[in-house]
Amino acid sequence: MKALRIAAVVAGLVALFAIPQMTRNEYVLALGVSFAAMSVIAGGLNLVYGYVGLLSFAQVGFFGIGGYTAALLVVDRGWSLWAGVVAGGGLATLVGLVIGYSSLRLSRHAFAIVSLSFALLCMIVARDWVELTRGAMGIPGLPTPVMNLPWGLSWRLVRPADFYYLLMGVAALSHGLIYLVVTSRLGRAMRAIKLNEPLAQSQGINPLAYKLLAIALSALLAGIVGGLFVFYLTIVDPSIFDFYYTETTLIMVIIGGPGSFWGVLASSAVLTALPDMLRFTTDLRMVLYGIVLIAAMIVFPGGFGGWLHRRRVARWRRPRPGAPTNTPSITP
Amino acid sequence: MTTLLKVEGLTKRYFGLTAVDDVSYEVEAGTVVGLIGPNGSGKSTSIDCISGFQPADAGRWSLAGVDLTGLAPHRIARAGLTRSFQTVRAYDELTLLENLCVAAQENDGIGWLQALLRGKPLRRADAEAEARGRDLLATVGLADYAGAPAAILSYGQRKLLAIAASMMARPKLVVLDEPVAGVNPTMVKRIEAVIRKLNGEGVTLLIVEHNVDFIMSLCSRVIVLDAGAKIADGPPSLIRSDSRVLAAYLGKARAAELDAEHG
Repeated sequence: MKALRIAAVVAGLVALFAIPQMTRNEYVLALGVSFAAMSVIAGGLNLVYGYVGLLSFAQVGFFGIGGYTAALLVVDRGWSLWAGVVAGGGLATLVGLVIGYSSLRLSRHAFAIVSLSFALLCMIVARDWVELTRGAMGIPGLPTPVMNLPWGLSWRLVRPADFYYLLMGVAALSHGLIYLVVTSRLGRAMRAIKLNEPLAQSQGINPLAYKLLAIALSALLAGIVGGLFVFYLTIVDPSIFDFYYTETTLIMVIIGGPGSFWGVLASSAVLTALPDMLRFTTDLRMVLYGIVLIAAMIVFPGGFGGWLHRRRVARWRRPRPGAPTNTPSITP
Repeated sequence: MTTLLKVEGLTKRYFGLTAVDDVSYEVEAGTVVGLIGPNGSGKSTSIDCISGFQPADAGRWSLAGVDLTGLAPHRIARAGLTRSFQTVRAYDELTLLENLCVAAQENDGIGWLQALLRGKPLRRADAEAEARGRDLLATVGLADYAGAPAAILSYGQRKLLAIAASMMARPKLVVLDEPVAGVNPTMVKRIEAVIRKLNGEGVTLLIVEHNVDFIMSLCSRVIVLDAGAKIADGPPSLIRSDSRVLAAYLGKARAAELDAEHG
């Protein structure tokens, strides 16, 4: 079972990295880049919402902060892209910790509201702090990144396929890190906090520490991906903080099942491809997209992960011949 | 006998109402002590305070000489005072074994980095927790469901799981908040047997309960609260005939009647 799973993951990765070899269709590659970026934001959101149970609208803010920081450091200060991206991820993490620490002292609901205000505030700052961010026009014409490799080689990211490889690689590493966390006892403690916070506290678990860990990790990954993504777009402007990203990633997590790593990864892929698959009917495209979302909510009210849990409960409740019965045992 | 838990002058007020009024008591190591009293007498509030879930307005408390006053719940738990809840709590989506293992993970000295790197110390700690978890599940009679999600358990079984979970981290003192409230008589016997067994293994327990028979048969000492104040503290035989306790439970008139009957 475990070998099968590893084989499936390897096959999936090979297939993803083989796509640019098989097609030069730029639209397909663009979808791939978009999947890579969105799935990392969704994966981080899943960590925060699905594991520690904090509804967060802040992910898009971390994404944009990463984008702006990398772009400004590269364009104004002449930093290399890679240093700029790391700085963007670092700043996003720091901001995430400040938001989390200040609002979580109050309540989960305070965090949701503060995260929403933060995302809106980011867009206002990007638009109105003209000296720093260049305002609504944004920073166009971001330079082509070059990666210096050992032995004097360098990789100029010119073709769409280059960004495809880069973002897929970063996405693979990010999901690997998330997977490492959620399958460890840290992930177990996070789920415990979501399922029953007072019980977790009574067992020595410090909810604030795990919540901040989840927020910091999600902010770091979203910031890094944001930093790379704006160089793919070659422009960063206030629309990087658009509510569209929040909405898309929230839908990915809810349909995939909060707290289900594979569910959210799968729904990220499906929901990136779905609007495109519905392209055969331009008029009804968004209507059909809506219908699919509603159908998914009806069939999987708790997302795909919730459906798996319900099935597991049903299986244990089913009376089995020869197995212990599930009624309270009477013999003391 | 050595004093394990020492509570001095614990006071908790809600606006004008004093829910716990200058209560002091001690729990000796290795004993089972009952905390009883009529509805609203401040039993649950007092243990919410000493476990850190409610801030106390005054008073100090310590466990084995370590001051716990004002600490956060998770720090108090790590210091060795764990508790169960009146409204039974369990992690429904986790298996019974996971429910128990998670309760031990903050006390085995494995840091976050070690947890991520999954080296030998982690594997050893996990194996130890799993073995203890299976032991405890066997003790409470739920071993057959080790791999089942906690959502399938009945109410009484959840109470048993909660007791097992509160024992996982090898605490010094376990506080059980109404372990048999709303449980059928057969299950009461079973929970009583489990508590006796755990006490036999050296666990000290402080039990808050409405079920007086349960407390009287299980505890070597009983503390009685009424209207937030301690009115009696002693062995069950003395508590049964204490006129203030009778008055608190039955009303003054009926207590006087009983007093006259029995002389």
